[in-house]
Amino acid sequence: MKSRVAGLKACSHVAVVAAIACAAIWMSGALIDAQVPYQRLLRAASEPQNWLTYGGSYKSQRYSALDQINRQTVSRLKVAWAYQMRPGVVETSPLVADGMMYITEPPSTVTAIDVRSGRPVWTYTPSIPPDVIVIGSPPVNRGVAILDDTVYFGTVNGHLIALDARSGGVRWDVTVQDNKSGYYLTLAPLALDGKVIVGVSGAETGIRGFVDAYDSKSGKLLWRTYTIPAPGEPGFDTWGKGNGWQTGGGSTWLTGSYDPDLKLLYWTTGNPAPDWNADNRPGDNLYTDAVLALDPETGKMKWHFQFTPEDVHDWDSNQVVILFEGTVAGRERKLLGQANRNGFYYVLDRETGAFLTGVPYAKQTWADGLDPKGRPIRKKGIAPSLEGTLVFPNIQGAANWHSPTYSPQTKLFYQHAREMGTIYYKGDAVYKPGTAFTGGGGRYVNGDDASSAIRALDATTGKMKWEFPLLSPGFSSLLSTAGGLVFSGTEEGNFIALDAETGKSLWDIQLGGPVRGMPISYAVDGKQFVAIPAGTTLFVFGL
Amino acid sequence: MYVTHALTASISVLTLAFLLAASAARAQGPYSADDVKAGGVLFGGLCVTCHGFNGTGGAGPPLTRPKLLNAPDDAALRVVISDGIPDRGMPRVRRTTPDELRQLMAYVRSLGATTQAPVKGNPTKGAQIYASSGCATCHIVRGQGGVLGPELTDIGYLRGAAYLRQAIVDPGAVLPSGTLPIPSRGYREFLPVRVIKADGSVVRGVRLNEDVFTLQVRDQSGRMHSFRKSETKAIQKEDGISLMPPFGDRLKNEDLDDLVAYLASLGGAR
Repeated sequence: MKSRVAGLKACSHVAVVAAIACAAIWMSGALIDAQVPYQRLLRAASEPQNWLTYGGSYKSQRYSALDQINRQTVSRLKVAWAYQMRPGVVETSPLVADGMMYITEPPSTVTAIDVRSGRPVWTYTPSIPPDVIVIGSPPVNRGVAILDDTVYFGTVNGHLIALDARSGGVRWDVTVQDNKSGYYLTLAPLALDGKVIVGVSGAETGIRGFVDAYDSKSGKLLWRTYTIPAPGEPGFDTWGKGNGWQTGGGSTWLTGSYDPDLKLLYWTTGNPAPDWNADNRPGDNLYTDAVLALDPETGKMKWHFQFTPEDVHDWDSNQVVILFEGTVAGRERKLLGQANRNGFYYVLDRETGAFLTGVPYAKQTWADGLDPKGRPIRKKGIAPSLEGTLVFPNIQGAANWHSPTYSPQTKLFYQHAREMGTIYYKGDAVYKPGTAFTGGGGRYVNGDDASSAIRALDATTGKMKWEFPLLSPGFSSLLSTAGGLVFSGTEEGNFIALDAETGKSLWDIQLGGPVRGMPISYAVDGKQFVAIPAGTTLFVFGL
Repeated sequence: MYVTHALTASISVLTLAFLLAASAARAQGPYSADDVKAGGVLFGGLCVTCHGFNGTGGAGPPLTRPKLLNAPDDAALRVVISDGIPDRGMPRVRRTTPDELRQLMAYVRSLGATTQAPVKGNPTKGAQIYASSGCATCHIVRGQGGVLGPELTDIGYLRGAAYLRQAIVDPGAVLPSGTLPIPSRGYREFLPVRVIKADGSVVRGVRLNEDVFTLQVRDQSGRMHSFRKSETKAIQKEDGISLMPPFGDRLKNEDLDDLVAYLASLGGAR
């Protein structure tokens, strides 16, 4: 064990160009069991041969410093191996640690795969009751977290489970919240120092959302921070005089980001409930559709920024927030960027939560821009109605769970932008635990009347540098690399490599199913690979 | 959250099992006049686009018939309204509360109880006009005919008379979508495309499918073509027209009525 830690330290201090060679030493003897202490997670970006957290690092940039696959070589990419998953909707982001890949399969299975051969070495499927309640999304899972020798994942019946990374054996299994009231987990947990952070899905059943921290060794709940304030708490007065707050939604269904220097955990929140009928929740409905900056030790909220007050279009703000550094008004600042489901791209000062920039990155017809504090200036006549109201973005948003990427090389924020309208309907909303509490819905304006594009935005201003047009609005995540590439996919099954500077297509392949899994890159035995789940198959490409 | 609506039905084997279980527990029984009235208001917002005013049909089937193929009983009707029929072009427009679901069911059943106005025209004469107008060159009815246009064997069941009339008079205005498993996702079916190849020659036909980089076309003689988009000079999608010629000025009004009556009779006897 000591020699491995020494090897790790050496790895973490070498230049990125040497990382692959370092990995080869690290991997000598084809050692394939994992040992991922917090110190490695902190410096995940400096060992690009692995992919240790959901977003590639705590900054969630989904960027790889590997450059063997680059503008010159990418045309030679070919399939190294493929792994066929269980049936269902696949939205997972694989992790790779020391020669082993950990993926989740629908709805709540974890499988460990030897990256040299593509052969699974263990798999674990928890017992999911047949009457599990999953309202608001497909029964998906977006990946695992790894810390020390343990792999953590959430389940559609509301559990958080810790597995031994070498065997898949269960270390502990806790109920985050009772699924009978509609709580369920789809996100990849985020592992910090001795803690595992998770959020919940379920606003479509009128849950009261929260962020939880669990002790990584015991599974004991360390803290819980609700996203909907109780009577007497700040923000409670944004829910009107009734009891709408008790069923106010504010799910926390996607993985957050973390700044270890500021000691701030950034977690995003979803729509208020019921989604399309605000009659019982007049007000801004804090802290729904927001980003929260939390103290990871206590869960205490340091600041918040709400993107869409009193949302009536189901525009969750759970989209990944990317942390990056940039110059704003002549001053170098620690920034946070998000392409929001409501059609605007936001840049905040992540130290204070101050709003810096907000510009549309996709067609939107609901706001006359944002005021100086970032609050939307809402147009009249955009609320859902009995007869239907056409509004852009669509009911699934200009963005959704699919990950953007940021390249420190180009300083561009890349986003798969969905261009589609929806005819929004308002309906009745009657709360009954564990049943749909949505108050309406919508009809897509899709097909030839919709489109999407991969857009490269100047990360600090949101100004578009280039776009690559796609067909159907899909759910493809993005990966940028030091090879000057951006990888993405399409709803029609294309997997694509674009030039990160120009958006020019350099390589593509048809994978036969919607590309909704998330791309990652890693290296083994000195060779770089790119992994992408498409349809229900995980593909791995190398040179 | 509502992430992938189009897939909701397929996904939710789990959810569906739950919803069905929950539905089974709900009270059934005769519908009140208030339910029918409230259901009519909901229908006007959610359903009228495809099923037409008063359920007389449009791009979706008429509901003014005593027995519905996909909803022969209330249990089936409940599932159709709750989940849609995604692979046949009917979305689940939105979730409904138990009250809203009952009201919609009440209204739809009230449509089936109304006396259906007969389609104007003589279907027997219409069959002769179908034959003499060359429709079978491009359409299959009960196994006979060409393949450039949609099969019409069950078209009378699947479409309303007003839609059929418009499809004859101005076919480009009402290209179907969601009736075939491919291209799906709401894309217009039988969309005419003109592809100008690198050598300047032109292929004109209907789009079968496409992705970002490729296009699949069936030309007017029925031959298949596969294009890499970057290797063509231009691809023109001829929105708003159809390869089927408009028959509005080729048929007398009376003949048009007869042809619509014939088409409306296809697949109707179930």
